[in-house]
Amino acid sequence: MTAPDLLTRAPDVPGPRRLPPLTRELGLLAALAVALFLVPYVAGEYVLQIGYLVLQLAALGTAWNLLAGYTGMVSLGSAAFVGIGVYTVAELDNHSSLPLPLAFLLAGAAAAVFALLVSPAMFRLRGLYFTIGTLALAEALRLWMVNSSLFGGASGIFLRSRAPKSYALYWMVLGAAVLATAVTLVVLRLPLALRLNAIRDDEDVAKQMGVFTFRTKLIAFSLSAFLMGVVGGIQALNLGVVEPYGSFGLSWTVDIVMVAIIGGLATRTGPWIGAAFAVVLEEALKGYAELHLAITGIVVLLVIRFAPRGVRGTLTARVRPRASLTGDRGR
Amino acid sequence: MTAPVLAVHGLTRRFGGVTAVDDLDLAVQPGEVLGVIGPNGAGKSTLVGLVCGALSPSAGTISLAGDDITRLDAAHRARLGIGRTHQIPRPFARMTVLENLMLAASAAGAPGGRHRSRDRRADCLRILHRTGLSDVADQAAGRLTLLRRKRLELARAMALKPRLLMLDEIGAGLVESETRELVDLIRQLRQECESMLLIEHVMEVITACCDRTAVLDFGRLIAIGSTKDVLADPAVAAVYLGTAAVDHAGAAPAAEAGRIVEAHQDAGSGLGMAAVDISDRTVRSLVDVGGERDGGPLLTVEDLTVDYGGLRALRGVQLTVGHGETVTLLGANGAGKTTFAHALAGALPLAAGRIRFDGRDITGLRPDRVTALGLAQCLEGRRIFGSLTVEENLVLGAGTAAAPARRERLDAVYSIFPILAQLRRHSGVAMSGGQQQMLAIGRALMSAPRLLVLDEISLGLAPIAVDRLYQALSAIQASGVAMVLVEQNIARGLSLAQRAYVLSRGEVALAGTPDEVSRNPALAALYVGEAADR
Amino acid sequence: MSLPDTQTLLQAVSSGLLLGGIFALGALGLSLVLGVMRLVNLVHGELVVLGSYLALALLNSAGLDPLLAAPLVFLGVAALGYPLHRLVLAPVARSGEEGPLLTTFALSIIAQNVFIQVFSGDTRALDRPYTRTSVHLLGITLPTVYLAGFGISLAVTAVVYLLMTRTGFGRQLRSSAEDPTAAAIVGVNVARVHALTYALAGGLAAVGGILIALCFSFTPTSGTEYLLVGFTIVVLGGLGSVFGTFAGGVSLGVLQSLGAATLGDGYRTFVGLVLFLVILAVRPEGLFRRRMAA
Repeated sequence: MTAPDLLTRAPDVPGPRRLPPLTRELGLLAALAVALFLVPYVAGEYVLQIGYLVLQLAALGTAWNLLAGYTGMVSLGSAAFVGIGVYTVAELDNHSSLPLPLAFLLAGAAAAVFALLVSPAMFRLRGLYFTIGTLALAEALRLWMVNSSLFGGASGIFLRSRAPKSYALYWMVLGAAVLATAVTLVVLRLPLALRLNAIRDDEDVAKQMGVFTFRTKLIAFSLSAFLMGVVGGIQALNLGVVEPYGSFGLSWTVDIVMVAIIGGLATRTGPWIGAAFAVVLEEALKGYAELHLAITGIVVLLVIRFAPRGVRGTLTARVRPRASLTGDRGR
Repeated sequence: MTAPVLAVHGLTRRFGGVTAVDDLDLAVQPGEVLGVIGPNGAGKSTLVGLVCGALSPSAGTISLAGDDITRLDAAHRARLGIGRTHQIPRPFARMTVLENLMLAASAAGAPGGRHRSRDRRADCLRILHRTGLSDVADQAAGRLTLLRRKRLELARAMALKPRLLMLDEIGAGLVESETRELVDLIRQLRQECESMLLIEHVMEVITACCDRTAVLDFGRLIAIGSTKDVLADPAVAAVYLGTAAVDHAGAAPAAEAGRIVEAHQDAGSGLGMAAVDISDRTVRSLVDVGGERDGGPLLTVEDLTVDYGGLRALRGVQLTVGHGETVTLLGANGAGKTTFAHALAGALPLAAGRIRFDGRDITGLRPDRVTALGLAQCLEGRRIFGSLTVEENLVLGAGTAAAPARRERLDAVYSIFPILAQLRRHSGVAMSGGQQQMLAIGRALMSAPRLLVLDEISLGLAPIAVDRLYQALSAIQASGVAMVLVEQNIARGLSLAQRAYVLSRGEVALAGTPDEVSRNPALAALYVGEAADR
Repeated sequence: MSLPDTQTLLQAVSSGLLLGGIFALGALGLSLVLGVMRLVNLVHGELVVLGSYLALALLNSAGLDPLLAAPLVFLGVAALGYPLHRLVLAPVARSGEEGPLLTTFALSIIAQNVFIQVFSGDTRALDRPYTRTSVHLLGITLPTVYLAGFGISLAVTAVVYLLMTRTGFGRQLRSSAEDPTAAAIVGVNVARVHALTYALAGGLAAVGGILIALCFSFTPTSGTEYLLVGFTIVVLGGLGSVFGTFAGGVSLGVLQSLGAATLGDGYRTFVGLVLFLVILAVRPEGLFRRRMAA
């Protein structure tokens, strides 16, 4: 036996929760969906806009969580997938008359295909290096979109169709959030979930236990990209005119990471809680955009330090100090 | 004749300049349990890594039941039926125990439908029952105790339904009763998988479980045969007890090949006997033999207990070192000697116990503070900084000492080990193992310690190099500084000692004068398995 | 896209070389922190920008020339970096690698927004008489400040090299990077060395920020680009190697300028990022290669 090293420490391990039956959770989700679906009948324009933002972040946070929380792949490249979704729908809107649901699916598919294309390079990177790699990837794509004359260049594209009413947008993004959550709930009960978790806990040992790690990571990566692409597609309709700076902007990544961490990584409801928190804070500090972001950053800092399992994780298991963010990966 | 379950031919793996596994031929027959033993660094774990696909070989082939699998990745090999455990358990910490098994089971055989998945679950539960883990099936694996983690390693590998099961030091760090349980378990599992490969330091496990045993040393196969014959072979005992002077000398430099300084130079000018003429005054400038602050011993260790990731590496160790006394700490691999040294240095958190040094309580003190107080360590494996030159390594050891004192100590170290002065501008690792060990000792001396802890300084060195080191040690001892010599090599370790302790499985098993300890019949048993069992 | 003539090419290569040397100073700290404590410091770009803003503030309030203010700015940012590491980063460093990584990410968001709050979101520049003059050499025109910045960057790099190779701190730093446990047992206060390294890295980043701001305008969010440029330089130059980082900066500068000359000026950073991704994909261990003070 080799002597343990000074700077490493055995992780505190949170106890796993037994999952309730899928039908019950999907039922709860459906009930929530119905309740949220009815909101436009009682609420005004302002509430719908807030609702749109919360649900958008909840959907994105859930998609990211699938990758970072359950598979341990902390990506800072989310903006690329959202941006691809935005542009896919914008282009489809101008050059075809596809029904919207199909356009959103194609937006997701485009993002997933991009994930597939970059995976051979990205999956050579592990841990921190995967994180930096995804950040560079998203920035490279943004710069290319800004400079290339394809897809409207820096000035962007006007959508031909008029922006839908706010209740319609709200319903669309509600659909995306419910889809992302339903996908997560289902995946967590498939044998795939074991493989994802095994990769998160120890990728090398997973391989030695017969897990085809590349394939498995690719599923998580492209599924997450698909969901982000769909949300991006809806955002294109919301914007009416899309340009590369915002569509591929780092602020998507920032928002997603903050929402997921504040809510709690590897929790099913965490992204929803984090999204609600972020939007409420933003509204409370309306007019002080920078202050709001700075305060969100401080909250994230405090969460990582004192409640590394986020709001949701901390509520379920009481505070267990020094738990690591995604478990035993200190090696 | 059927093909062996596992056959490796010419298997070689180099790490940088070191050949961990060297042109190895080995086969495991169907129905056989093959033991693999050998001292630290013999290449045993590397062998397991190569066979399971975690490492790729530098040369050679590996075949499973006659099929060449050298080019397959680890996941494919696992699916073909190669299962392994890890020396330090690596459970999927945040998954439940049952999930750990289910993951492996889902890779065993072809993927199936719903029905198959229920079968798999039943299979896994049965394995958990047999390995005594039923009651923790739904607990997070990261929360298990060491013994249960080891059982989980075994259970998870079994869930793969392997044709070849490789167990890597599954007995290390267990107490006797735990070891017996483990042996029972392995014997039961024999019926379930075609063949096993057992890497083990705990001889009890080898003698109880293995049909044949292979002995590795410096990555080469030095003996293979029935377990009884191999363990009775004096050459094998010599490898373990460190008396294989001549054999070792031939093998040792293999690992050092390609160093800037040739091995023969090591044996000649650098290590020559004539070089030993160290004046007492020289050494005195390097050590602090100041008066006793209180009447008590220099070092008092009380009830020292250290846990490491669910593993209790040390339990209730009591030990004292008097002023100017040399105490030797003996014990087989995995007995906890190095953990003890690290705990003394403040590099490990203690689960319980107290350490008093020179009249002060140093429990929980930071390592650099401990060193500054005069408790210096010469670490196992030398741990020379390759990014620093020889002289920089030494100067680093002097800490905050003023320049004149530093200069004086540097000169003193150079007069003890003149070769270091010649190589002062070389990188710390561009030297032979013996020279690096001199540097490590010199670096520890640079802090002018009151107590010098030397951890396994003879490990992996040719006997002539060890002779030279021990000559220097006796000169250092004569200066009056206290020493703790941590040794695997009994004869060497006792040669300088006034008192000795023997650690076994984290506890003090024997203590007394060198004479008492070396005459105690239990000593050999603690090293080469329980003689009574044979 | 058309191929430029030799003169343009020569111009591009020489100015890219000088700029690369300047950006190398901005990246040196990133390399040190990654090499010594395995910390991916995502707030590094903001430390660079902080240097630019501090120099601007000193210029506007006290009329202090940015180059003369450099030592002050170095000390100021270093003094911020030391407690930042001890109080914020070190406590989360013990439980896995995501904690510190995401903490630096949060710090970078905080810093960017504090910059906007304090200095407004406007584009700024350090405008001095010498930033408007040029030197003519063999038919090519080089801004004076490029030459001066290159010289300063090279000089500071040399000082850091001497610090790493000739001083006690350098020995402690190298030993801590190589084997922190052994260094601690040999008597090095590793926690202090880490915090000091972080402080040094911050100070160097800030001085780099001054030089960069003398050449280019900057905004509160410029840090992200500097960070990614920094990573590219580190990957090109080898982790933790002082002059390797400088060489990495110079080669990146030349390649970027060639890219900008052939593809268009907007592609300057894009070329760097693609280069970065290609190197990572081809040689992921490139980042792990570490040799201090080569």
